[in-house]
Amino acid sequence: MPMATDFLYGLLPEHLLLTLILVLMVLEIMRADQGLAGPLFLLTLSLGCGVLVTQLSSGYTLTLIPGEIVIDRFAVLAKLVILGCGTVLGFFSITGSKCFKTWMLLACSLFGGMVIMESSGFISLFIGIEMLSLPGFALMLHGRGASIACEGAFKYLLMSSVATALMLFGISLVYSHTGTLAVADFVAAAWSGGAHNWAAGALVLSGFFIKAAVFPFHAWAPDAYDSAKLPVTAFLASVIKAAVVLALVRIVGNTALGSDAALAVALLSVGSIFYGNVAAIQQSTFKRLLAYSSIAHAGYMMFALTDTTGGRVESLFYYVAVYAVTSIIACACFSLLCRDALHQGDPLSCLDGAYYTHPVPSTILAVTVLSLAGIPPFPGFLAKFLIFKSVIASGYLVPAVLAFAGSFLGVVYYLGIVFRLFKPTPASEIARAALIQQQSQNWTWGGVVIGSLALAIFMLFPDLFHRLLAVV
Amino acid sequence: MFDGAAILLLCLIPAVISLLVSLVPGKDSESQRMISLAGMLALAAISGWLFLSYDGSVNASRHDLNIAWIPYMGVNFHLGLDGLNVYLVLLTGLLFPVVLICAWGSPRSREKLYLNLLLILQASLFGTFLSQNLMLFFAFWELVLIPMFVLILVYGGEKRREAANTFFLYTLVGSVLLLAAVILLGVESLRQTGSWSFEFSTLYALQLDYGVQLFVFLSVLLACAIKCPLFPFHSWLPLAYGEAPASGTALMAGALSKMGAFGLLKLAIPLAPAVSSDAAPFVILLAVISILYGAVLALRQEDFKKLIAYSSLSHMGYIVLGVFSFQQAAVHGALFQMLSHGAAVVGLFLVLSLLEQRVGASYQGLTALSTLAPRLAVTLMLFILTSVALPLTSGFTSEFLILFGGFQQGLVAWQAGLSPLTLIAVLLASTGMVLGAGYMLRFARVILYGKTGNISTLDDLNPREALAFLPLLLLILWIGIYPAPIMGKVQGAVDQLNAQVAPSSLLPQPKITNTSVNGGANANGH
Repeated sequence: MPMATDFLYGLLPEHLLLTLILVLMVLEIMRADQGLAGPLFLLTLSLGCGVLVTQLSSGYTLTLIPGEIVIDRFAVLAKLVILGCGTVLGFFSITGSKCFKTWMLLACSLFGGMVIMESSGFISLFIGIEMLSLPGFALMLHGRGASIACEGAFKYLLMSSVATALMLFGISLVYSHTGTLAVADFVAAAWSGGAHNWAAGALVLSGFFIKAAVFPFHAWAPDAYDSAKLPVTAFLASVIKAAVVLALVRIVGNTALGSDAALAVALLSVGSIFYGNVAAIQQSTFKRLLAYSSIAHAGYMMFALTDTTGGRVESLFYYVAVYAVTSIIACACFSLLCRDALHQGDPLSCLDGAYYTHPVPSTILAVTVLSLAGIPPFPGFLAKFLIFKSVIASGYLVPAVLAFAGSFLGVVYYLGIVFRLFKPTPASEIARAALIQQQSQNWTWGGVVIGSLALAIFMLFPDLFHRLLAVV
Repeated sequence: MFDGAAILLLCLIPAVISLLVSLVPGKDSESQRMISLAGMLALAAISGWLFLSYDGSVNASRHDLNIAWIPYMGVNFHLGLDGLNVYLVLLTGLLFPVVLICAWGSPRSREKLYLNLLLILQASLFGTFLSQNLMLFFAFWELVLIPMFVLILVYGGEKRREAANTFFLYTLVGSVLLLAAVILLGVESLRQTGSWSFEFSTLYALQLDYGVQLFVFLSVLLACAIKCPLFPFHSWLPLAYGEAPASGTALMAGALSKMGAFGLLKLAIPLAPAVSSDAAPFVILLAVISILYGAVLALRQEDFKKLIAYSSLSHMGYIVLGVFSFQQAAVHGALFQMLSHGAAVVGLFLVLSLLEQRVGASYQGLTALSTLAPRLAVTLMLFILTSVALPLTSGFTSEFLILFGGFQQGLVAWQAGLSPLTLIAVLLASTGMVLGAGYMLRFARVILYGKTGNISTLDDLNPREALAFLPLLLLILWIGIYPAPIMGKVQGAVDQLNAQVAPSSLLPQPKITNTSVNGGANANGH
């Protein structure tokens, strides 16, 4: 029987986040200096990460609420990934925001993400997913006067609600037959045959595909990503996508899908990869490019669901972690290079010739972009390799080759970014040289450095998650 | 004692020097250049030492570096010297200081970006050639593209953006299938040995179905045919070679194209021996078409750079012809041709770059180099003669061995009742030698022995540049005059290569399809 101290220690990261939210609320009521919020956020998240690392190294596992909250190795590791990405993102967000509410909303979203990871029953999973997604809607609107922000946020809210509804339908269908809300029972029932189970599986998968913006459920993503400010877009593309994918992994685990479900998933993934990459080639603004490329990356991630060899969880962990950190770094470097252009709809042309005036962020942006494209030996390539080795080992060679062809298309626009960085244009050099370095840029630099360190670790130790999960 | 240390240094030194160069303040300065040159000379010394001390026995694993990277996937950072890559290690070590010294005269050689790109390129090339793990090989294979892309993009000619994109994307097409083939091999290793492994030693020992071998062979062939390049995947050649900066073109022709041939030797033949011996006549046909096509196009070229580019296409055809003849002399010839062509074509492009540094774009109009700058003319002529395959130069040694071995093989095959395709191909390739003499000597006549035109003065070869060309010329003469001791170094690898395909070639056997074929001695059995 778990004791009170177990509740405290086991859920310590969550408690820290809740305390943070309360403190921020109080500070806002007291009209304290708004510059406090960011560092406080970072401090809390770092403490949370520290606690999780301790839990991980001590092999801490506990069934807190039987059937609802179970802290196992997956949970601790996933929470660490979410909080880690949140920390890197926090560094990036400090430059943009001057408001307590932003940090409160971020903390709520992260809290929801963490609840998902430790859930073993659908009530907590559902609460977590809702808590994860809804603050995003408010973040997109907050502090923006433009009507385009409302449009994007509304699209996001509507599609998110539809996705949630579909998930509820699916879960209820299975509940009506099995009578339990445990996640493990759901998986066992859903793949056990029968029309209602098939429908339930399809509904839940569709719900998650909408949330993760997989083709053909992707339509909300480009407008939603484009209408938000860059730090919020980074948040949507990295943490929320990571949490959604990990939530799906939490539900499905390493269980093999039925063959028609796997085939459907493979087809949709290949479609997503091709659609996302082809559409991204035509984009001329950074956020829309990021949106379409994230549709393609969702395709790669969902491809791992077809795996039957049991390597799904560790390869998806690696992919999700690498993708989230890389996206944040790419957005951060873009904002370092294009401070002015951000207010005029982040055109990609502001990157022209950036290498000659800001060599270091340009090099880092080039490296992250090539990593996203899947060029060896960067972590993005290793992540794709780990997923595709499982896919090919499970017998899906032809879809894998198609996916490689699709990823080749992706290289075209990622290369285009590297291309722009080295394109010399006389006018931009003068303009750039006159940029005034603001104090808050140092925070973004801090985020870039930490993120790059994380990527370097991922590159040198690709079997990190394999080893960390091995004790499960 | 030195087990992995020399190899480790080969990879570490470029990284360290690149870091040092980046940290020196200022965008361009003399000290950055000196540091890079010092690093490259150190690398040349180490690779020279490795070449000379390698004694050729197949089991000599003195120079081997194996660090686990992804242990449970069998992907290791495994670099090692063996018979197949010993020549290429020497070539890579030798070429880069030569290229840098020849670029000394132009301001770009002081720029940090330029030096860093050269160093990263060198490290990636070393990695590709030394790699003993298939996934590591693939990683380095693709990594080479990035510095070359940026080199063309930043320092290239008028159409450099188009050229850089074409180069990168065209070459990347090959790797789409290659990655699938690589992972498929890992899956086969999992099925047959119970654990993932991408080590070449494990993969060579697998028993692969004909279907798997076919997929692997075709994927590797596509990737390597684009890289070399071979007809019909050569259309990126004139644009990329023409628009790249001189050092970039020299390195592309001298080192990167050898990656393609190396890939065939290291991947296609040992991993798919049955398919290799079946497909050999067709690959030889492609090679011969490349030889003749490149030669005919070179005959028509007015642009000097494009002329040498097409001659490079032609000479790469010889290498592939030699490799797929599966005969002692031919394979030795192919390996020598890699060295010889590397040295010669780099020499040719670098002389052109020196001319460009001196007179700018109008160097295309030069007609009387022998009167204006005799020493430069002599150097150019020496490289041209190597290209023409004049006896006593390495060009003759390599092409003669290739044609001799190919002819032997073709004759034996024809007498054993198989098709005369190989024999006809070799005979056609011999006419390629005549065409080679044709366009090269025409080039010499036009640029060296014409009447003095617009340009009336030209600085001659200065001591620094002469020093740069000296190693290349020494290598050419050494291989041309006394190649026997060098051949001993690779004898083991050549024997191994031929043994892998020998049983199923030549002997009139009924075609056995869909059987497991062992890449060794038991082709008949199962």
